[in-house]
Amino acid sequence: MQTEIDPKEPIKVEKRPKKKKKNDSVVGYLLVAPALILILAISIWPVIQSFYFSLFDLQLNEPTKSEVHLDYQIDLDRYLQNFPFLVGAIDSEIDKGNSSEELTTIKSTLENLDEGIKEKPEAQENYDTINAKLDNFENIPADMKYIEIEEDVAQEFTTSVKEINADLRTINENGNLEQGDKIVGLSSALTEIVVEPNFVGFEHYKENLTDQRMWRSLWNTSVFTFISVLAELILGLAIALLINKAFLGRGLIRASILIPWAIPTAVAALMWKFLYDGQNGIVAKLFEDVGLVDRMAMLLTTDTGAMFSVIFADVWKTTPYMALLLLAGLQTISGSLYEAASIDGANKWKQFVTITLPLLKSSLLVALLFRTLDAFRVFDLIYVLTGGGPANSTETISMYAYTLMFKQTNFGEGSAISVVVFICVAIISGIFIKLLGSDLIKDGSGK
Amino acid sequence: MNKKAGPMFYVFLVVFVFLVMFPFLWMLASSIKPLSELFGDRAFNPFTSNPTLQNYVSVFVDYPFMRYLWNSTVVATITTVYTVLVASFAAYAIARLNFKGKPIILGVVLSVSMFPQVATISPIYIFLKNLGLTNSYLGLIIPYTTITLPLSIWLLVTFFRKIPFDLEEAARIDGASLWQTYWKVIMPLAVPGIFTTAILVFIAAWNEFLFALTINTADKFKTVPVGIALFQGQYTIPWGEISAATVVVTVPLVIMVLIFQRRIVSGLTSGSVKE
Repeated sequence: MQTEIDPKEPIKVEKRPKKKKKNDSVVGYLLVAPALILILAISIWPVIQSFYFSLFDLQLNEPTKSEVHLDYQIDLDRYLQNFPFLVGAIDSEIDKGNSSEELTTIKSTLENLDEGIKEKPEAQENYDTINAKLDNFENIPADMKYIEIEEDVAQEFTTSVKEINADLRTINENGNLEQGDKIVGLSSALTEIVVEPNFVGFEHYKENLTDQRMWRSLWNTSVFTFISVLAELILGLAIALLINKAFLGRGLIRASILIPWAIPTAVAALMWKFLYDGQNGIVAKLFEDVGLVDRMAMLLTTDTGAMFSVIFADVWKTTPYMALLLLAGLQTISGSLYEAASIDGANKWKQFVTITLPLLKSSLLVALLFRTLDAFRVFDLIYVLTGGGPANSTETISMYAYTLMFKQTNFGEGSAISVVVFICVAIISGIFIKLLGSDLIKDGSGK
Repeated sequence: MNKKAGPMFYVFLVVFVFLVMFPFLWMLASSIKPLSELFGDRAFNPFTSNPTLQNYVSVFVDYPFMRYLWNSTVVATITTVYTVLVASFAAYAIARLNFKGKPIILGVVLSVSMFPQVATISPIYIFLKNLGLTNSYLGLIIPYTTITLPLSIWLLVTFFRKIPFDLEEAARIDGASLWQTYWKVIMPLAVPGIFTTAILVFIAAWNEFLFALTINTADKFKTVPVGIALFQGQYTIPWGEISAATVVVTVPLVIMVLIFQRRIVSGLTSGSVKE
């Protein structure tokens, strides 16, 4: 290495700063790229997609609505299981001379419609393949089942098929058909094979804005967030102020404080469910003895009791975390400030208001921001502890979105709710970031 | 504030620690009670005269609890290793190199860390389902990136910034390449920070619930939090087993927290405190 550098040394030194800077940015972008791509693909893109899904009537357990489609489609599989048999049955009636005049018109309409479906060459191809497969009793691959058709063709198809169905019904009621019921059945089946686009625009949002359950869950979430974060803040600050001094066994205190934070929320919720139990729960018993509740069972079976229980469990789990964050903030405040203040005759309260609070402001706001967002998206605690009950009185907005999506498989409406959650979270962080100013990003820089 | 602590203070501390630990201690006491003492009047008695390990045996024999533990370990470990690796590159660049757009990148990272999981779950679920990745380890590792990557970038940037710049300058002037500087100078100094980040990421991945609940529904791929939460049957709740399982998952956490508390606290508070 050294031998190579020797002759060119002086030139290189001169050039270095410029070259290094350019090099730096290329390497910089290269190093950041993988993380940014992942964030874009796994976090940002899904949020955009959630919004897109929320504009559709997307229902995973309904075959015709399990995907988003903007176009009209025809369920070829179903069509070909009905159409040939219908035409066949009509033919045999015509041969026998039963209402042959009306039936011949109907048959020609049907055949015209059939031509309409096969108009596009690719449709014709799918049509033939499926027909062949059906003849051999083979399964139809899912991607072949549906073909796109023009809107006017689809609409014409639907209206004519409905008319035909009605006509056939009347003919059948007049009683001159041999296989009348079969023909009517087959023609009814044809009315269900057009898949309409499931784009609904802002319909889900409109429904939700007038839906009591959604407002109630939003209200529950806000109550939960506000009360629990406020309680955590007050208790956390008190604890931080109390333990901000030198004493034996600091490490032990710190560790015991961290335990509630480290336990999985689901496990903590289950623990509390045991402690709150209406018959065997020790905490329920204590609350009853103290007179906080009239009967032990009231904790988890009444609206207020359940909300209180959930908040209490959350306060237990996160106050220590809050205290830790605030303690770290307190420790950056120099002791000399307090000494100077007490020499000037300021009492404890005055010191707290004029020194501690202003200097703690940014730590306080950051801790509040993270806790508020965490509390607002609460899911596991409530899912395990109350399941949203009794009678949805502790159902939060995340719980509601989960129920819509995974219990009712209504992904369109669930996505709409999750977009609402997202917007709420964005508003909350916006407010906090405004209060914090640019402190947040600067904090990370450690100057 | 170097006030000396008085005896009353220690009384307060003992009470405080007892209150914080109470639910856990109660679970510990209940986990060794025989079934008959979990219900009725004796349920309120903290100590049992007939301690039994039956609940612990049952957790491992009657439930696939070992499997849950293994699943959680695999998912959390892989998530931690891969996120911290990817994040360390990005954080190094953001903290130490000069290029345009750094505040924007940091801003994006911070906002993404605030995303509610529920806002991403429907596309992620549909995407994983179409790829056949539901009920697999990868099916959890992929979505966990949403939570862990921003967290680790954020923490690591703070740690990388604390390393003195002079060292790097010196190494570069001595002719070390960027790669050499990274591996030989920065990395050894960043190990504590990386380790701290890894602990926090591991805990976050271990504790995650919503994705685990919705994506891996087969018993074979359930993680510990979901597994325990679904112990409760339709009509009865096996409190004895639940207590035992809670103790089994909490004890390693307690030990880990005792050993690493200093690091965890430094990780939790970095970025929230001005220095």
